[in-house]
Amino acid sequence: MPEGIQLKNISGNNLEQCLKCSICTAYCPVSAVEPAYPGPKHSGPDLERYRLKDNRFFDEALKMCLNCKRCEVACPSGVRIADIIQASRIKYSTHGPILRDRMLANTDFVGTMANRVAPIVNTTLGLKPVKAVLHGVMGIDKHRSFPAYSSQKFETWFKRNAAPKQDGYRKHVSYFHGCYVNYNFPQLGKDLVKIMNAAGYGVHLLEKEKCCGVALIANGLSKQARRQGEVNINSIRKSAEKGRVVLTTSSTCTFTMRDEYAHLLGIKTDDIRESLTLATRFLYRLIERGEIKLAFRKDFRMRAAYHSACHMEKMGWVVYSTELLKMIPGLELVMLDSQCCGIAGTYGFKKENYERSQQIGSGLFTQIKEVNPDCVTTDCETCKWQIEMSTGYEVKNPVSILAEALDVEETIRLNGV
Amino acid sequence: MKYDIIIIGGGLSGLTAGITLAQAGRRVCIVSAGQSSLHFHSGSFDLLGYDVEGKPVTRPLEAIGQLGAEHPYAKIGFERIARLADEAETLLNEAGVKVKGDSKKNHYRFSPLGRRIPAWLTTEGYAVCEEADTLSWKRVEILNVQGFLDFPTEFISAGLKKQGVVCQVKSFTTDELRHARKSPTEMRATNIAKVLADRENLRKVADCINAVSGEADVLLLPAVLGFSDEKSLDELKTMVEKPIAYLPTLPPSVSGVRTAILLKRLFARLGGTLLVGDKANGGVFKDGRLVSVTTDHLPDESLYADQFILASGSFMSHGLESNYQRVFEPVFDLDVDTAGKRAEWTKEDAFDAQPYMEYGVRTDRDFHAIKDGQTVGNLFAVGSVLSGHNPVRLLDGTGVSLLTALQVARTITERR
Repeated sequence: MPEGIQLKNISGNNLEQCLKCSICTAYCPVSAVEPAYPGPKHSGPDLERYRLKDNRFFDEALKMCLNCKRCEVACPSGVRIADIIQASRIKYSTHGPILRDRMLANTDFVGTMANRVAPIVNTTLGLKPVKAVLHGVMGIDKHRSFPAYSSQKFETWFKRNAAPKQDGYRKHVSYFHGCYVNYNFPQLGKDLVKIMNAAGYGVHLLEKEKCCGVALIANGLSKQARRQGEVNINSIRKSAEKGRVVLTTSSTCTFTMRDEYAHLLGIKTDDIRESLTLATRFLYRLIERGEIKLAFRKDFRMRAAYHSACHMEKMGWVVYSTELLKMIPGLELVMLDSQCCGIAGTYGFKKENYERSQQIGSGLFTQIKEVNPDCVTTDCETCKWQIEMSTGYEVKNPVSILAEALDVEETIRLNGV
Repeated sequence: MKYDIIIIGGGLSGLTAGITLAQAGRRVCIVSAGQSSLHFHSGSFDLLGYDVEGKPVTRPLEAIGQLGAEHPYAKIGFERIARLADEAETLLNEAGVKVKGDSKKNHYRFSPLGRRIPAWLTTEGYAVCEEADTLSWKRVEILNVQGFLDFPTEFISAGLKKQGVVCQVKSFTTDELRHARKSPTEMRATNIAKVLADRENLRKVADCINAVSGEADVLLLPAVLGFSDEKSLDELKTMVEKPIAYLPTLPPSVSGVRTAILLKRLFARLGGTLLVGDKANGGVFKDGRLVSVTTDHLPDESLYADQFILASGSFMSHGLESNYQRVFEPVFDLDVDTAGKRAEWTKEDAFDAQPYMEYGVRTDRDFHAIKDGQTVGNLFAVGSVLSGHNPVRLLDGTGVSLLTALQVARTITERR
């Protein structure tokens, strides 16, 4: 037998490593509620063999895949099942996105327009007749509420209120705020600035920031996603060259830029991958290395339930956010069973997916109600919308909880800022 | 990151050790690369099913004495097995895995093909019999869900008929189960279990069963109930008029998924940290001790601990790997008991005892792993990564996983 031949037998996305054990099928949230979906094993490694022979074996039912990656997390053999599925959608699907998909996917454009007239948009989108039109004409489910648009973008707030002070710090990071912080929830960005400044770090925006493109990929707009991805990676690279790590507060943006860019869009990211990280991971590591200290308020009390967002689980970073939260003396943290909440970004907004989306999340919603915490905490903004809408419990990013619990003056003193 | 104990592997042995150590107040982290072989679980646990000659064992605690000195049970010490077996049973029940059995005397369970196989503990509600060839039923009906292919009713029925049991095979369906058949490939035990987790759907199944079942001492049903707890197994019993018993199906196993979920939940409740979908890929050794390990997802993080346990499983779970040259342990390249020549790894007849089944990590009598001939003082190996036993021939796999994990957990807690 020729030496080393096994080492050369490396297949795309580890396709050949699939043992057909079918473990992944037990953890697919879509299969559980939608039998028309052929499941991860069949959609991924099984059918890929046929597709490689003849693209007519491509099945449009694959668009039902949430890309949650729970099949990959479950796989004992390291097969990138969801990557196989998403890559085949990009390669073979002939169905273009409809207007609704383009709108949902273009979070940047829609957000910019909506911010200008936020109060009108927020009220209008909440009106029953408008919801009926969105549902009937656009195919956006009437049960959904759009996350409210902020009247001031995070970037605008930052430039006016925070930017001038940032150069005064000794150490520096950049911040990829993402669409959600910029258009809908600037408070999360303000919370991060508060923590980083207290710890002695100046925070800076990237030279250019575009939407990470996760919704574009999901809606079949991979070319646009690639263009935006190139812009982001260039900006991140420039920041890295200045020695500034780029922080994020969204698990999905992070995952998309670190892993999906390379795996699905063919963007070269290996040189900057370690310069792009979730803020909780960055903070945890600084604290562990003894480089910074955080002090927390003595009167802070909270009982929070942690929800493991799918992409957080896939990155393996749940431990950073939870270990960081556990450092807050007044916080009791309950771990929820790790399961998908069902929203998967724009997926749950589409009327054809709404019912499925709610069924997928039902186990999680029941558990949250049983635990009855003060609030739920998760690193993903779309999980936040879904859980808030479906359970009524408030959902906070771990960064916001840290900021709330932080004793700012003591932290400044401890870090000699 | 620093823990008291780091366990590599989140299957039956890793979770058992993790739970026991967390109960003792230790900070435990489990690194788990994908789901475990529990997903092929029969619904039963075995201590020792067959002796070295292949004969069924009736009294496992007595028969264990005949095993060779290198068998993990011999390393534990035969006199300790009974006590550890009781502890294992308590731990399973505490997690919500309700099992029945007796380590002093094996009972018999059914394989998915209907064979009778010796077992130590079996999930409550599953079909069992006291002896291999004595069935308490004269007349049975095997009821299957229409279109569910992982439950070969003809094999099961042929086996029962051979023993003089009057046996009829019937099938049933409901609107919800018919809907679940839309993709025939996805009509699996675990997906059916998710449909029947809904009480209303289960009620309709009970109505169907009550309508189709005829005269029978027992109705045998595929074990397709109870994805994340055992509620629906009991509920169906109260809804169906005739007595019912469950038979295991082909994988993925519902009882296995449930066992994994329940053990993980208990571990989390005890404050344990579980890194899922992450693979330990190496470690730093110093002065005969393991200092830290690294993982794929935390590339520049070192996970430090006082004690480490390798519970990474056998070949299927990649706890052991092979190439054309050798069999090896991929995380630390620990010393492995194996035959040198590749031709000696297997026997041509598939039904012979396969030598590779006994390959595994070499340890001392306390299950300390050995690297380059030197004992590593704070690294233990437990479960199916261990050498010296053949779970297929001896039916000792789950017993070795549970008992070696408990034994090592005890060694660690007593050490301080």
